[in-house]
Amino acid sequence: MSATTADPRIDGGGRPLQRLLRAAGRAGLAAWMPYLYVAVLGGAIWALQPALIDGPGAVDVRFSAVVPLALVAFGQTLVMFTRGIDLAVGGVISTATALLATRGADGATLWLLIAAVVALGGVAGLINGVAVAVTRLQPFIVTLATWSIFGGVALLILPQEGGASPPALSEALLGSVLGVPKAVWVVALLLALWGWLRHTRLITDLRAIGSDEQRARLIGVPIARRTIQAYVLSGLFAALAGVWIAAQTGSGSPTAGDPFILSSVAAVVLGGTSIFGGTGSAAASIVGAIAFLLIPDLIAALQLESFWSTFFQGALLIAAVTVSSIAAQLKRRRGAA
Amino acid sequence: MSLARHRTVLTAYAIALLLFAVGTLHSLDFAAPSQLKTMLVYASFIGIIGLGQTLCILTGGIDLSVPWTLTGAAVLTSVMTAEGRPLGVAIALVLALALVVGLLNGIGVAYAGVPPIIMTLGMNGALQGLLLVYTDGGISANPPQGLTDFVLGDTLGLPTQLWIWAAVIALGCALLSLTTFGRRLYAIGANRRAAELAGVRARRVLVAPYVISALGAAVTGLLVMGFTGQAFLTMGDPYLFSSAVAVAVGGASILGGSGHYAGTVAGALVLTLVASLLPLFSLGTAWLQIAYGLILLAAVYAAGLNVTRKKRGSPDA
Repeated sequence: MSATTADPRIDGGGRPLQRLLRAAGRAGLAAWMPYLYVAVLGGAIWALQPALIDGPGAVDVRFSAVVPLALVAFGQTLVMFTRGIDLAVGGVISTATALLATRGADGATLWLLIAAVVALGGVAGLINGVAVAVTRLQPFIVTLATWSIFGGVALLILPQEGGASPPALSEALLGSVLGVPKAVWVVALLLALWGWLRHTRLITDLRAIGSDEQRARLIGVPIARRTIQAYVLSGLFAALAGVWIAAQTGSGSPTAGDPFILSSVAAVVLGGTSIFGGTGSAAASIVGAIAFLLIPDLIAALQLESFWSTFFQGALLIAAVTVSSIAAQLKRRRGAA
Repeated sequence: MSLARHRTVLTAYAIALLLFAVGTLHSLDFAAPSQLKTMLVYASFIGIIGLGQTLCILTGGIDLSVPWTLTGAAVLTSVMTAEGRPLGVAIALVLALALVVGLLNGIGVAYAGVPPIIMTLGMNGALQGLLLVYTDGGISANPPQGLTDFVLGDTLGLPTQLWIWAAVIALGCALLSLTTFGRRLYAIGANRRAAELAGVRARRVLVAPYVISALGAAVTGLLVMGFTGQAFLTMGDPYLFSSAVAVAVGGASILGGSGHYAGTVAGALVLTLVASLLPLFSLGTAWLQIAYGLILLAAVYAAGLNVTRKKRGSPDA
């Protein structure tokens, strides 16, 4: 060990690692990481218990679980483009499920109810966006506060877990169309949405804000408007996730959304979107969401206690974010040198 | 800047007094000595956990892993003593584990450059998982009698708990006002680059707030368990918001660099007063949560008005 510390190459600040990362960066490895996660995790599960991957109904079950996280992660990605973070998704999702579980609705009123819930999510996002863009407060503290507020609203509507969401809602969202589970359609739709959005002005502007706000302002990016739009979209997507969860569980919970704070950030980070803003892709976040949700299955395939998945999901977030932070540090140092 | 600091701290105490006056006007029982004692004891839990949170926020970070660090300390201690281990050994072990948690957070933030919010969010999830595995999702052990007696007992006519808080206050204020470490924290929070150029080893200093926060959370967990007579898996949940809100009410700038533990003490009092006032107007826990959020927004906005906005765009998002 003492021989290694004396090695000048090591003392020079981990240059071999730096070179490795640079080579990986050139090969575009970062962009393939989420797919690699899915392949490795999926392959391991398939090797241990094939039924979890290709058994009857496995695709339906998996994608039903992926849909809400994919939705939240989509919005979270847009916010993280701007170097922000949206912790309020927890409260928005909870409020959405609480609302749906306490209002009976059928037919046309059901769609009105869904529209109202989603619109409320947009309003919540608007509050976040305005607070972040206009008062220039730190996003995490603003959304920590609104998470508390929206969580309180959810508690007001539905004091404890329960209620019953309209049966028509579950009928409308679950099941298959043309032999393919609706959940798969939703994920495909989200990917298509990203395919269209990524070329729009909105995404280019959000990335510009994240990579260098001063420069973005100089080239005429409407910073406040774009920031607000990102948070509004995040609120809308979170509410949609809440609708899906209410349909899936048939009930509501005033804390249904809280786990989605960690999981959505994890999906975005696993997807390779930079936590320091500027780069990334919502499609990759969806792949990150799929990888994140493979962990419980891996735990089941390993026949470990299911609670281990909570640990590994947190640990995976820490590991992924540490790697990308160190990579960013090295890059910055290289840029400075 | 020093004047602004004193002003915000004083404002926080003024708000606490005002809330107290409102409560007393509503009902004289509000100012009864027993009620006062209870409120101070509740404030002390937020206050003790708030020291670490103050230090984290001073440096522009935050510790979101306090809920499960707190719960973990309480649950592990109760399980270990129920299995027959001496209380002292259990506490020592739990504090050692908290030290590890704090070190991991601190090293991740300071050395790997992970944004504090994501580092501690992940840590909170990982701790939750470990604890769920350890307890199998439920817990039935009672807290050790010795701890309950200690926390509920009186010393020199006041609850022992309050003496502990007094000691933490003395320690926290001395740490920030009198030591080099305190000055370095302010320097890093105000402008990390400048502090480094002035010779502060920022990375090493930045680990400490997370260690202190984890230790404070563990100690609070033990005290809360002794006070309520039980350890349960959601006991840490309220302290995520309350510790952060107390610091913000105390006038610390969320951008780092300003604030003082004396302010957090006032913040803890304000929160406890709000929590005791709301039921008087038949507003329940849902409204408390809403009130916390609104207070947090108002407090950081007010603090933001005092601090120049020069530090926006720092990489620690």
